Formats: sequence, structure tokens, C-alpha cells
Amino acid sequence: MSSSLSDPSIRSHLRALLAIARKDWITYWRYPLSAVSSVLQPLIWLTPVYFMGLAFSVNGKAQGFAAYSGTSDYMSFILLGTALSNFISAVFWGMGYSLKNDMDAGVLESNWLAPLPRPLLLVGRTLTSLLITAITSLLMLILAGLIFGFKPTGNVLAALLTALPLLIGLYGFGFAFAAIVLLMREANTMVDISSYLVQLFSGSNFPVNALPRWLLPVALVLPLTYGYDAVRGFLLKTKTLLPIPLEVAMLVVFMFLMIWLGLRAFRALERHVRKLGTLGQH
Amino acid sequence: MATLASSQSFSRTSILSELRALKAIARREWLIFLRYPSWIIAIFVWPVIFPAMYILGARALAGPDGSGLSVFLKTAGTDNFLGYIIVGTTVWMWQNIVLWDVGFALRQEQWRGTLESNWVSPTFRFSFLIGNSLVQLFTVMTFILVSYLEFTLFFGVRFAGSPLLALLVMLAAIPSIYGLGFAFASLVIAAKEAQNFVFLVRGIVMIFCGITFPIAVLPGWMQSIAGWLPQTHIMNAMRSALLTRVGLPGLRSELIILIAFGAFWLTVGYLLFMWMDRRAKRTGVIGQY
Repeated sequence: MSSSLSDPSIRSHLRALLAIARKDWITYWRYPLSAVSSVLQPLIWLTPVYFMGLAFSVNGKAQGFAAYSGTSDYMSFILLGTALSNFISAVFWGMGYSLKNDMDAGVLESNWLAPLPRPLLLVGRTLTSLLITAITSLLMLILAGLIFGFKPTGNVLAALLTALPLLIGLYGFGFAFAAIVLLMREANTMVDISSYLVQLFSGSNFPVNALPRWLLPVALVLPLTYGYDAVRGFLLKTKTLLPIPLEVAMLVVFMFLMIWLGLRAFRALERHVRKLGTLGQH
Repeated sequence: MATLASSQSFSRTSILSELRALKAIARREWLIFLRYPSWIIAIFVWPVIFPAMYILGARALAGPDGSGLSVFLKTAGTDNFLGYIIVGTTVWMWQNIVLWDVGFALRQEQWRGTLESNWVSPTFRFSFLIGNSLVQLFTVMTFILVSYLEFTLFFGVRFAGSPLLALLVMLAAIPSIYGLGFAFASLVIAAKEAQNFVFLVRGIVMIFCGITFPIAVLPGWMQSIAGWLPQTHIMNAMRSALLTRVGLPGLRSELIILIAFGAFWLTVGYLLFMWMDRRAKRTGVIGQY
């Protein structure tokens, strides 16, 4: 009785989160090819990047690149960016696209009636995808390390701890984004474009100081830029935009700020959608 | 009136009724396309942002003083890395869009629950793919035109070659690209869940065809595979047409290869479609979801 969903408590919320994650886990493994694909896809995307690097390198050293980033180990720089980008995509797709799936399946309205805070519904949809992303990214790094070479020389633990506020802050993005999906009732193009743009301007594939001057401010206002930068600074000892402790402090501040802003945006837009009565439409 | 009605009837097939059916299919696809404004937005956004990732990566590789460019010039034969990458990524995006749109055309009909009823109409069944492709070709041509304008405006790319020759290369490339799309559409009906096959095919193009790099940097065995892929020749021909002044004589051999590939892939596409049609009748797979 105390753990009943109709009598909401922290325990019932946790059970609901687990139930959502379990459902997504079962659905995911129904399509085993997708699991193989999520390891191989990033490798496929990395291949032209790798060969492009070769076209600019002499004896495997990208000297032009080193002048920007502080390391001539171009592929390790890229691989680390790709692994972090996988998590960004997991949150964007996990939150925004899962709502669209629920709309198409016709279950969004009934889920919305469940006695569970709605942001938690969204968080639940990311749990499985984050776990799977962690597994597949690790496998990808191992495989990519064998194929292209991956040589992290720095502090792994510090890098992981830095990635944590980055990841939590991403949920703020995710909440706001999911609300826009509710309003627009279309997710594919939006998730694809937004996730790609955020990764592009945060410097997932290049040091942001290589951006043209007029685009640099876009990168500098994105908190993820400092996340990528600090993690690479710890693991690859690259030149960072700001001192690493300052970047980490900024990430923690951004984390709280983004969660607060994201939740506010979600609540406002979700209320608006309920007023419009378009929640069940797709 | 009765004469007019019977001559226009779908139940008595003629070239005219086939053309009307084709027009109806194309019109339906066009209406669906217009229903989703974000698809239209995508036409304007993707041409800029997709190559941007590679272009900015190449900028970083070139270095602040451009020292990496001399290395690129040696391997690629041009220091216009912007144009080089843009041509490669545009051809890749073209093939990718065709795989998704044409390749999933019949599958989408299945999702909508309209494939079976359309299949029993007295229309040449291949028209369902052709009608879809007509709209798709129009949107892709708009996409490529928008790409050309945006690259010139936002990236400051200068194309030293001839846009007319590039158009000729595109015409020669259409049969290969759409033939592959037709083949794919039939396989998707047989395999049902086929998005991973799209990932595989576009991945092969991405790895082997040199979308951002000269084929010369690939190991020998990969170069051999690249030579058997039409997209490699489309990119080569398009780069020659747009970035150099080789003229028609310099493109002749690539154009002949593209036409040969086109004939092959259109035949494969049509044969696979006929195979899928026969199989569908035997197994009833058309109505399954």
C-alpha cells in the first residue's frame, strides 16, 4: 500500500522510474541489430574524419591541429569528443524523441495521467539510454582505439567527475527540448538538428578556437564547450580555453542554472499544450 | 460524358491512366511533404550544418597559419578544401536522403496501412516508386540549389568550374542513386525493419568514397572497393566539374562509367522490385506490418 503508485512517495517514484527503464531495456534488446549499430555507427562517422586527418598530416602528426589544440594526437581528441557526444545524443533522443514515440503509439495521454511528476517520466526515459550509451561508448572506444589509436595520458577519474555536472546539466536542455516537442508534435528533424548543432558548436570534433571569429561567441556561451574542453584537458592535456578549475566551477553553476531554466520552460510549455488540448494529437 | 469517363478510368489501363496515377501519387507525396514544415526547414538547414562539422575540422587541421594546407594540396591536388568537402558531403547527403525517402516509400505505405489496397489497384506497381521519386527528385534538386547558394554566401566558396557541367554530372548520377533507392525499397519490404541497412549502405559510402578526403590516402584494398562504388565516381566527376576547368573532354570517362553504373543499378532495382512483387503475392507479405 505504501508503495502504491496511486499514493505517490519517493519509493513509488523510484519504482516508476525503474519500470520505465525496464520497459525501455526490454524494447531495446528486442532489436539486437540496433545494439551492434550503436557501436558501429560512431566508428563509421569517425572514418572520414580519420582519413581527413591523414590528408593533413605528415608521419601521423597533425602539426596544424597541434597549434590550435596543444596536441598532435588528432584521433584521441576526436574519439573523446565522440564519446561525450554520444551522451548528448542520448539525452536529446531519450527525452525529445521518446515523447514523440509515445504520441505515435497513442500512450502519451494515459502516461500523463499517471501520479508521477512529469519531468520524472522524462528522466525515466533517459536511464536505459544512458546505460546503453555508457556500454556502447566504452566498446566504441576500445574498438576505435584498436583501429585508429586512442592514447589518453591524463587523469581518468578527474575527467569522469568533470563529465558528471555536464551530464546532469544536459537534462535541463532535455526538459526544455521535450516541451518544444510536445508543442510542435514533431521530433525527428528537431532532435537531429539541435543535437547536431550543440555538438558542432561545443567543439566535439575540433578545438573551438578554430571557429571563425563571428561564430566563436556561440561556442563560448554553450556550457558544453567547457565540458568538452575540461575533460580533454584532464585526459589529453590539451590547451584549455580557461584554467580547468574555473571551467569545472562554471560547469557546476551551469548545471543548476540549466536544470532550473529547463524545468521552468517545461512546466510553462506543458501547461500551454494542455490548455490547447493537443497532448493526444500527433 | 460516358466516353470521357471510360477513357479516364483506372480500371482500363492505358498510358494516359498510368500518367494520371503517377500524377496522383506525386501529388499525394507533395501534399504530405508540405504538411510537415520542419521537413522544409531541414532543406535549408542541413546543407549548411552537415558539412560544417568537417569544414571546421579541416580548418583546425590546416592550423592557424594554414600550414596543413600544403600537405592537403599534395594529396588532394587542390587546396580548396572547402569546395572539396562540400561536394563530397552533398553527394553523400543526396544518397542518404534517397535511401530514407525512396527506400522507405513502400514501407511507409505499409505503416499507413495503404500498401495492400494500392497494390490491388490496376496501376503499374513500379509507379508507386517512380511517383514518390519525382517529388523526392524535386526536393533534392531544391536542396542542392540551396546548398550551392548557401556555400557561396556563408562559406565564401568559389567554384572555378562550370555549374552546367555539374548539372550534367548530376543527370548522369541520377540512375545510379535512384536505382539503388529502388533496390532498397524492395529489400525493405522483405526485411521489414531496415534502418540498420540504411546505416550500412550510407556507412559504406562514407568510409570508401572519399567524402572529405582524397581516395589516395586509403589503403590499396580500400581504394579497389571505392572504384566499384558509383558514389566515388560521382564525387570525382562533380569535383572535377565544379573545382577545376577540365571541361567536357576531361569528364568523358567518368560520365561513361556513371551511365554504366546507372544502367546496372536501375536494372537491379527493377528486378528486385519484380522479385518482391512475386514474393508478396506468394507469401502475403504486403499486408503484414
